[in-house]
Amino acid sequence: MTTCDHYLEDPEAHAAHLDTCAECREMFGELDAELELPVRPVQLDALPLAPWEGASHRPWGLVAAAALAALALAATLFLVSGQSPIAGIWRGAASSFSPFEFAWNVANHAGGALRAAPRVFQIAVVISFFAVNTLLFLLLRRAPKGIDA
Amino acid sequence: MRKTARLFALLTLFVVLVAALAVATPSQSTQDTYFFAETAEIARPVQGTVQIYGGHVTVSSTIGGDLLVFGGTVAFAGAGRVKGNLFHGAASLQNAEGRVDGRVWSLASPDGALASMGKSAITASLLFVWLIAAVVWTFMSGREVRLSSLEVRASALHCFVLGLVAFTSFVLTAVVFTYLVPYLIGVPLLVALAILATLSKIYGMIAVFHAIGTIVARPRSREQLGKRAWLRGDLAMVVLGVLILGALRFVPVVGTLIWGVASVMGVGVALATKFGRREPWFLEYRSAVA
Repeated sequence: MTTCDHYLEDPEAHAAHLDTCAECREMFGELDAELELPVRPVQLDALPLAPWEGASHRPWGLVAAAALAALALAATLFLVSGQSPIAGIWRGAASSFSPFEFAWNVANHAGGALRAAPRVFQIAVVISFFAVNTLLFLLLRRAPKGIDA
Repeated sequence: MRKTARLFALLTLFVVLVAALAVATPSQSTQDTYFFAETAEIARPVQGTVQIYGGHVTVSSTIGGDLLVFGGTVAFAGAGRVKGNLFHGAASLQNAEGRVDGRVWSLASPDGALASMGKSAITASLLFVWLIAAVVWTFMSGREVRLSSLEVRASALHCFVLGLVAFTSFVLTAVVFTYLVPYLIGVPLLVALAILATLSKIYGMIAVFHAIGTIVARPRSREQLGKRAWLRGDLAMVVLGVLILGALRFVPVVGTLIWGVASVMGVGVALATKFGRREPWFLEYRSAVA
């Protein structure tokens, strides 16, 4: 005899079961019924603007204007201070590498200083190295908070 | 926790190796002279470099190499002179004018060019350089910059704290790596660290530019977005941020302070978002659930 479980396992093989079982007939009748879902119109403009909307727009006019303005300002200031704008801008741009040059020069000397430093200073450097890098490690484990864009 | 333990084990192994190397090879003798929190006078000519860390040192003779001063006070007197360069940070220099043959570098304003040129003109030149760098980077990876910019705005304090810790870590790690320079391995380690620090600073600043531009001029509605011809998109926000922060940099003292805070925050956000990739640097170990 076909039971409800048999029918549910393979409805096509036990199709005759629906004629005898009112419960299954009702259940499958509900499943076949067409649903009427409430239709709500989506107000796109009411939704907040996503960060990626319009993000790929490239206003080259603005970029060119800003670059020219910065260049003109630098040239004017060099002229006012009595220096050649081209040489000045070149040296000014090159000076953006100065921090690295400074750090490199200091780093070249610092190793020798560390070796010659008193033991207390060396221990303090090693302890600080571990403490700060442990803290950095712990801070880097935090997941970013900003929403997806 | 197992992953963390493994990392710490590796780090400990590294330090033990460093210590073993230091013991195995005695430090090379150099002509450098060091002063650590001492009160002293350089009364006779010194051939090599002189390094002063704290204390009070009077230079009344010639220093053949460079002079490095970090903390403390250095006073020049008599025939006191430096034939090389002078590097100083958080230190007080007395009577140093015209006594340095090389360049004078300061931690506060490391570009020696500042001393000889109009500071504003240099600032404007640097603004131009930053503008070009920001435009190129944003053009290549706008999405990453935008994601980092979101992080700056969502958790500014965390980015700042992380930036401070990262900056201190870079300095301390560089000091430890310089210890390894005589063993050759120190050079590539230092170069790698320098590249990481430089990229963090440049990328982070661009993310901060984007964040500032977005805070000031982001479109509030789609209608506003549609109407705008120039002031929309990642590139526009970055350019606007460069101009705003660049303009603030012209303000004496405050401008430098603001730029410094932005730099620290930039380093923080670059590391917090893994350069905009939003991937974890260290995966937390969790056992599989059955």
